[in-house]
Amino acid sequence: MKHTLRQVFHSGKFVTGFSIFMALLLIVIVYPLIIKGDPLAIISEGTFLPPGIYVSTFDAINSPTTYILHLDDAAAKRIANKLSNDDRLAIKDWLVKDGIPENEIDITDTAKLLELWGKNFDSALQLPGMTFAKAQYYRRLDASLKGLLSTEGVTIAVQNPQTGALEQTGTVKQSDYVNLNNVANVRVLPLGTENFGRDVLTELVKAAGVSLQLGLVAGLIATLIGLTLGLLGGYVGGWVDDIIMFITNLFTVIPGIVLLILISFSIGQEKRGVVTIAVVIGFTAWVWTARAVRSQVISLRNRDHVNLSKLSGHSIVHIIVADILPYIASYVVMAFILQISSAILAEAGLSILGLGPRTTDMPTLGLMMNWALIYQAQILGKWWAYFPVIVAIALITFSMNLMNTGLDQIFNPALRD
Amino acid sequence: MIDMSRVMLEVKELTTKYITRFREDVYAVDHVSLKVEEGKSLGIAGESGCGKSTLALSLMGYYFPPLHFTGGEIVIDGQNISGMAPDDIRKSVLGKEIAYIPQAAMNALNPTLKVIRFLEDVIQAHDPKITRKEIHELAIDRFETLGLPAEVLQKYPVELSGGMKQRTVIAISVILCPKVLIADEPSSALDVTSQKMVIKMLMDLMEKGFIKSMIFITHELPLLYNVTDDIMVMYAGQIVEQGTAREAVFDPLHPYSKGLMGSIIVPESGLRGVKLAAIPGVPPNLKNPPEGCQFAERCKYVVPECKTHSIDLRELEGGRAYRCIFSEEQLREAYKNG
Amino acid sequence: MKGYRRYFLNKLAWFLVTFVFAFLLNFILPRLMPGDPVAAIVARIAQGMNNTTGVQAIYQQYADLFGTNKPMLEQFFIYIKNVFHGDFGFSFSQYPRTVADTLKSAIWWTVALQFPAIIVGWIIGNTLGALAAYLKGGFDKVLMPVSIFISNFPQFGMAVILMVIFGVGLKWFPTSGGYGFDLIPNFSWKFIWSVIIHYQLPFWSIVLIAIGGQAIGMRSMSIYELNADYVKYSRFLGIKDWKIIGYVFRNAMLPQVTGLALSIGTMVGGALFAEIIFSYPGLGTTLLHAALGQDYPLISASALIITVMVLIANFTIEILYGFIDPRIRAAQSD
Repeated sequence: MKHTLRQVFHSGKFVTGFSIFMALLLIVIVYPLIIKGDPLAIISEGTFLPPGIYVSTFDAINSPTTYILHLDDAAAKRIANKLSNDDRLAIKDWLVKDGIPENEIDITDTAKLLELWGKNFDSALQLPGMTFAKAQYYRRLDASLKGLLSTEGVTIAVQNPQTGALEQTGTVKQSDYVNLNNVANVRVLPLGTENFGRDVLTELVKAAGVSLQLGLVAGLIATLIGLTLGLLGGYVGGWVDDIIMFITNLFTVIPGIVLLILISFSIGQEKRGVVTIAVVIGFTAWVWTARAVRSQVISLRNRDHVNLSKLSGHSIVHIIVADILPYIASYVVMAFILQISSAILAEAGLSILGLGPRTTDMPTLGLMMNWALIYQAQILGKWWAYFPVIVAIALITFSMNLMNTGLDQIFNPALRD
Repeated sequence: MIDMSRVMLEVKELTTKYITRFREDVYAVDHVSLKVEEGKSLGIAGESGCGKSTLALSLMGYYFPPLHFTGGEIVIDGQNISGMAPDDIRKSVLGKEIAYIPQAAMNALNPTLKVIRFLEDVIQAHDPKITRKEIHELAIDRFETLGLPAEVLQKYPVELSGGMKQRTVIAISVILCPKVLIADEPSSALDVTSQKMVIKMLMDLMEKGFIKSMIFITHELPLLYNVTDDIMVMYAGQIVEQGTAREAVFDPLHPYSKGLMGSIIVPESGLRGVKLAAIPGVPPNLKNPPEGCQFAERCKYVVPECKTHSIDLRELEGGRAYRCIFSEEQLREAYKNG
Repeated sequence: MKGYRRYFLNKLAWFLVTFVFAFLLNFILPRLMPGDPVAAIVARIAQGMNNTTGVQAIYQQYADLFGTNKPMLEQFFIYIKNVFHGDFGFSFSQYPRTVADTLKSAIWWTVALQFPAIIVGWIIGNTLGALAAYLKGGFDKVLMPVSIFISNFPQFGMAVILMVIFGVGLKWFPTSGGYGFDLIPNFSWKFIWSVIIHYQLPFWSIVLIAIGGQAIGMRSMSIYELNADYVKYSRFLGIKDWKIIGYVFRNAMLPQVTGLALSIGTMVGGALFAEIIFSYPGLGTTLLHAALGQDYPLISASALIITVMVLIANFTIEILYGFIDPRIRAAQSD
């Protein structure tokens, strides 16, 4: 046993898979302890906020301490933020069409460019080949450029509740900076928010945990059923085996997804909790395990040590537990690992169809995927809503399969490369 | 007409090695020399792992990793094959000049090919122009001559019994009438009746001239006495004793051969009362062969010089040889005293 | 041929039995719900309906179809009779369209997409696996991890990734539908071309996943065969290497064909998701809409059709296997 463990942990593939899996587990367990907050809380108005650090502008302005920094590139950055390269090219384009010779226009010299623009732009002028939308664009651009080069600050005013007049309370200069630590409300959203407005990262971690639990339950059930049927069929043989083989073959050919759909739909939405779905998945996924266990048991059935036990008069149960189980333990472990990963995938599939667990109390990886798809995240380019989910699913299944392949190579030396 | 003086196979100082995964050299065949004349058969005996199967492979001249040819000469019927390119060896030597029957030949047949199709492939690999009709005729004729029913040709390996498969493999191996046939444990995996049939078939081949000489490898010594003319005993990749069958079995010189022969019962007159003895110990690890005599660890008659000097093969008259530090007289003296 | 006939009959019997079983399951499962299944279903779908006459009509039609007042056995025969007439009832979500009508077009789109994709994936995957086993070295070291990674990728994941890279990002292919929205199905070149470019992304997402799975299996089988005794023996008889390779791969392929037959259910299942992601007008999307619309008859019928398709595919592959494995034909009674 010890020797096996040593071999197991020497296998490159197993160790890699195991490490990834453990890392995931660790994140799932530790993250909620650090970041407390309901994963299903809706925190943003509007959907699909991009990832980033969100700073409350109100608090930034009202920050107790303001610092003054003079940075060389501050002005350039400010301008670049407002005036993209495309905008510059558009300006140049307009100027050229207006009649300014091209060699006088340098789009990298912002000051000069804006000067030319300011002198020549006429919003009423209709240049040849300009559509209405384009004209609007130029007008908007012009408006946003007003005051771009100025170095004045902005004034903060508060509305007097009685008179309704604006009273100045302070100014913000262009050189004013605040330390984020002093800002009351800063929220880091590494993965932005999804369609409902929830923090993707927190939700993802929770969903991964739920999916893993689901996989575990389903895997356990499937493995237990498969183990029992495989043992019975393999060891007892005869007509018991025939029946079991028959059932197994039936369930092999009928696509599991079809069964899942039918059962899940029949249960009805109210009863579809995470655990229920896990049980359903477990009850349809045992086939592969049963097969593998059965063939192993058959080959073990006539080994010498088993015959010895039989001759010694040990009961069937004793023989199965003491003589056969230890030899199939490796297969059972491998099957269990595979069942977990395929259960997670099955749940994802069901959820995409809308037949997964209830949507209200707990998120699962499949559900997150479902929402993202319904709200067309991939077409809108909001990658953070679906891509991390895919990566999470892929990592889980990949790490488990890697562990499995590693174990396989240990228990089947012929496959070692 | 068998010309007893024509040498079918002559091997001089053949040395081959395995290169293991960890880049170590294992010399499985260490300066082996032997000679087999036309009409004669040579038996090679030894424990598992002594190098006899590797020797067989090495004699074929077809090396592929991890087996490498290091030195020596292999001459088949006057043709030196030791330097030949693998492609030439495949085309003109393998199967044609020298053929090999593997251990556990039952598994040597492709399960999804009919016997006759496999034969077609074998023959056409050497003679592309021959027609299928000719091959069929040859096959039927040959099989029946060797006592195998012609129906076997149309069967798949799974439909044949173990003994039948073995004999089929033998028949296939000699279809091109090779000059030398190497049989590697041809009867070890069979029941007694099948064993007899296989051996009879091999002797038949020799008698009918389908093969001109034979090397019979086994660890079962009783077999060799009745089947081969000469016997060679191998230990740790080296030849330790060589001689006629009678000499090797009844008058072994090397302590190892003596031990081996002492561990079998030969129901011949004059041998009653010889005690059975197993040889304690295990053969040396060929990765780190010990200095001096390879057998020293297990030898009853060992003296300190055995472990420090490298022992050469002593050649006596009549083709007899043995590898020991002692002279013939010293050994016989020692054996007499028990 | 005697061996083959036995094999064929065996497989045929199996096919029929499984078919019956699937049929039974399809019938029994929803009826396992306690209470009046018809009322429950009608209550669910009638939630948004204000037209009481409509609700009544549906209830009546469904009650007739179910025959809920009749004994179970009689219900079953009614069901069989209806199915064999191609009458699956009315679709709830697309009323008054019949289920059969909705399915008719979807089936062909699915078959046209999935089966070529699975077969192409199988062929390419096995070839790559065989090459990896034979060439070893660098090719193998690259192929193995890549295959492991891809084969474990969820089917919908692959579909989404392809969609994002090639559809949204590079804009080479359209991201949804079976053909352009502005086109009406006809046999013009324009339509056919539109179908072809809409076909690409779903097709390749199915193929890629199939490749991953097959490559690993074939590689293992090939390695196993390459080390078989008959390979060494054939070498020693002077048979050319390429001929021996032929032996090896022919033998390694046989279990792969069986494997395909067994796994076709899973592959089709995964392919359905590819269809869904791309809103491809096949059974996948039909299922999705049916599930979302609580359209029981449509779900049930789609499930049945998918199962039947898989069964037929399984049966066909098993028969073909009997042809390519010569041992089956030659087997005598044992």
